[in-house]
Amino acid sequence: MRFFSIFKLTIPVMMGYIPLGMAFGLLLSKMMIPWYYAFFMSTFIFAGSGQFLALTLFASQASILEIGIATFLLNLRHSFYGLSMVSTFKNFSWKKNYLIFGLTDETFALLKTSEIEERDKERVYLIITALNQSYWVIGSVIGAILGNVLPFNYKGIEFSLTALFVVLSIDLYKKSKLHKPFLIAIIIGLVGMLGFPSDKMLILSLSLAAAVLILFRRNLEDAR
Amino acid sequence: MQDSYLIAGIAVAVFATFLTRAIPFIFFAKRKPSPLIRYIEWNMPLMIMVILVFYALKDVKWNQYPFGIAELIGVSIAILAHVKFNNALLSIIISTATYMFLIQKVFV
Repeated sequence: MRFFSIFKLTIPVMMGYIPLGMAFGLLLSKMMIPWYYAFFMSTFIFAGSGQFLALTLFASQASILEIGIATFLLNLRHSFYGLSMVSTFKNFSWKKNYLIFGLTDETFALLKTSEIEERDKERVYLIITALNQSYWVIGSVIGAILGNVLPFNYKGIEFSLTALFVVLSIDLYKKSKLHKPFLIAIIIGLVGMLGFPSDKMLILSLSLAAAVLILFRRNLEDAR
Repeated sequence: MQDSYLIAGIAVAVFATFLTRAIPFIFFAKRKPSPLIRYIEWNMPLMIMVILVFYALKDVKWNQYPFGIAELIGVSIAILAHVKFNNALLSIIISTATYMFLIQKVFV
């Protein structure tokens, strides 16, 4: 597969990662954190919502342990993506470690949906992942630098993250076979938003959701 | 913000994020996933995503002016746009732009 065809595959991700990366960079600069931290975070963490969460936690001076646990729980969904890549990556060289590192929601979606010849897979996967990461890094650095320079009122830009979660919820809902977990998640989310202490809302709600999903498996699967 | 705090925080986030992506490759490289794992794999991502929507809205003050109206309008636009046009980027941009307009110009 030629480089240009691979690039074309990644254009939708580019259109998402550059503005979202910019939103991240802007938020970071708004918190008076130097721009090069945007570069390091996007290069070494490379997780959209995880990096936004890290900023939120930094702002509230969360402990290092809390940052670790919250990031782990938030990104735990990536484990579910990895699960369905295990067999595909099995015969790749050591370079698959980069693919595992770079397995974001969007990269996973591209790798899963693209049609590539078996012997060309490793190379194409590596290019897709690297391109996607470069968009994210470029976007966040531009955002972090322009945030300090441009007199642009970006108050409220963090709503793009809320919107991203809404959009991904709809996409996943359309693909899901069982619809009850969706309703249960709405109830848990509402209760968590209104009732749980703000700083533990995510951990409590996600654990509750996992517990309900596993404990009521029989009821949920029967009622499809 | 202190550099040592930021660096430690970022290092932990790097490790935690990589761990979430590497776990399946550490544990399931050899065996086939059980039906329970399959079931969780299919259903948990949607629940996570829905809860994240509420998580993102957790600091909204629903009982004082403007009662989260801007957030409700923003979320509604994202839902409507996405159901109608099915274009993630478009839905995110129009809902965010509307939200920014509302909190900057309308509910000042």
